[in-house]
Amino acid sequence: MATVTLRNARKSFGNVNIIKGIDLDIADGEFCVFVGPSGCGKSTLLRMIAGLEDITSGSLQIGGREMANVESADRGVAMVFQSYALYPHMTVRENVGFGLKMTGHSKADIEKRTQRAADMLQLGPLMDRKPSQLSGGQRQRVAIGRAIVREPEVFLFDEPLSNLDAALRVQMRIEIGKLHNDLKSTMIYVTHDQVEAMTMADKIVVLHGGIVEQVGSPLELYHRPRNMFVAGFIGSPKMNFIPVTVASAKGGSVSVTLPGGTKMNIPVAGPLPAVGAKLTLGCRPEHVNIGKSDKAAGVLKGTIRVAEYLGSETMFYVTLADGSEFSVKGGGLAGQKVGDVLPLELPVAACHLFDEQFNTIQNGDLTR
Amino acid sequence: MFPTPIAKTAPWVQRTYKWLLPVALVLWLLPLIGIAVTSIRPSSDLAAGNYFGWPSGFNLVENYSAVFENSNIGWYILNSFKVTIPTVIGAVGLSCLTGYALAVYKFKSNLLVFFMFVAGNFVPFQILAIPVRDLTLKLGMYNTTMGLVMFHVAFQTGFCTLFMRNFIKGLPFALIESARVEGVSEWKIFWHIVMPLMRPAIAALAVLIFTFIWNDYFWATVMAQSADVRPVTAGMNELKGQWKVAWELIAAASIIAALPPVAMFFLMQKHFIAGLTLGATKG
Repeated sequence: MATVTLRNARKSFGNVNIIKGIDLDIADGEFCVFVGPSGCGKSTLLRMIAGLEDITSGSLQIGGREMANVESADRGVAMVFQSYALYPHMTVRENVGFGLKMTGHSKADIEKRTQRAADMLQLGPLMDRKPSQLSGGQRQRVAIGRAIVREPEVFLFDEPLSNLDAALRVQMRIEIGKLHNDLKSTMIYVTHDQVEAMTMADKIVVLHGGIVEQVGSPLELYHRPRNMFVAGFIGSPKMNFIPVTVASAKGGSVSVTLPGGTKMNIPVAGPLPAVGAKLTLGCRPEHVNIGKSDKAAGVLKGTIRVAEYLGSETMFYVTLADGSEFSVKGGGLAGQKVGDVLPLELPVAACHLFDEQFNTIQNGDLTR
Repeated sequence: MFPTPIAKTAPWVQRTYKWLLPVALVLWLLPLIGIAVTSIRPSSDLAAGNYFGWPSGFNLVENYSAVFENSNIGWYILNSFKVTIPTVIGAVGLSCLTGYALAVYKFKSNLLVFFMFVAGNFVPFQILAIPVRDLTLKLGMYNTTMGLVMFHVAFQTGFCTLFMRNFIKGLPFALIESARVEGVSEWKIFWHIVMPLMRPAIAALAVLIFTFIWNDYFWATVMAQSADVRPVTAGMNELKGQWKVAWELIAAASIIAALPPVAMFFLMQKHFIAGLTLGATKG
């Protein structure tokens, strides 16, 4: 059981700065997910915590102990690699027990711990097989088993599910979640898949270009993104962004002009933007209503370019009058076809406003 | 399917293939066939100028037993083993270590050291003959088995390092990192994880080096003078005869001398099996 604390942690390879100063507190027993686009430094950050990469400057503490000069083996961490990294010449049993055997644990202890991990992950019938005789999901379970037997204080997962097919991924997601409930250890999980992040995390850290964009619970990030990057990254399909101009701003609300000339009043809690400022309005596809008429406030019109009928829902990708793309989630029984004109209503409560620096002015927080 | 199976090609292609293949095969094997046939000719054939025709008699037993009676070939073969086996162990063992170090560790002059190992291979060893002879004389290793072994190891380690380093680079690095996180010491990682996965490379290299060293004639003549040290390639000289060259005996001795590398190949071939790392990572 341990907390993980990063203070102004930096990493550079030569002149290239990968991690540009990260402050982060991960509580004991928390399931923390690092998420971000490829190249954002999330794997590097995890490897720094694992001790596989040196920290160029700053501090890392695990369980209150400074880790800068501690070997990875002595950090009390166990890591599960994206590629599983099973030793191909050993059976599952040998794979799981190898680390313990090499670090001088007694045979009985190894046997006991291996058995416990095997029970936990239903590896029983696979124990005497070689990795090449296992399926992808089974290999990943062995890799997790190898981490469990070390009884680490912190589990580190580096995109562990990205080599699995979609169905298996959902199943393993649930298993890892269950594992976290059973073990109650601190877990840090890296993924580029925001659905994995949303479903598994207690706390999500959104990384972008080597800095933390936002830290928060999944729903916090969904409803109250701090800037346009987080707003666009969290949520699938992506949030729609529309350029708007401030027509007037008074009395705790701004009136913005949408492309096509329609005006929309949005209450703003903080300082009001100047009249004439170019802002960005964001609205998630699932919050846009398909209107009946085009007379209501906040109505846009768009022509359906692509329609995806998924049964439970229908995704419409429409082109607005000014040529920009917009996506809308409709009901599963929506009957509109490609080429139809859709009137789109943007509910004021679900609209986010971002300033010219892409920071949030107002969140369309539906939990309010 | 590529290439197209011969059975599915046009008839003229099939006919040409069926004729050309054996012809090419015979051409390819002609020197070997020549030696094999010569080794069973009676010496009168060679005296009469019948080098490539049908042998006038088959002196298989006579010629081969004459090789053992007229020369110390058994002793020379033993000498060859005494040079070759330590060299193979030395060169392959050392290159496992150097290859691992160069493939796994990042240090400043890593590439420089690696290039020096590679560059050593480009020096023609003929120009080294005189300095090496002088050096061995000064070291007191001239005309000793130990001297031959030491210099063979020195010369072969460069190539072996190139081979091993590239092979280890090809292994999934996550295996090593994973073991490090588990607290396994570097020597144990090398011994328990990397070495077992290097088996195909070790087998291939062992056969290759065995053949190189066994067939070496140059250093065998430069560095060994006495019959106690001479390997079989140089020792065969003894069969030349006093008045005329007994080609049929030299041919028979050559066949005998070529057997160990062939045996070595068949012995090691089951270790070549590829795909030892199958299942280590995604795939």
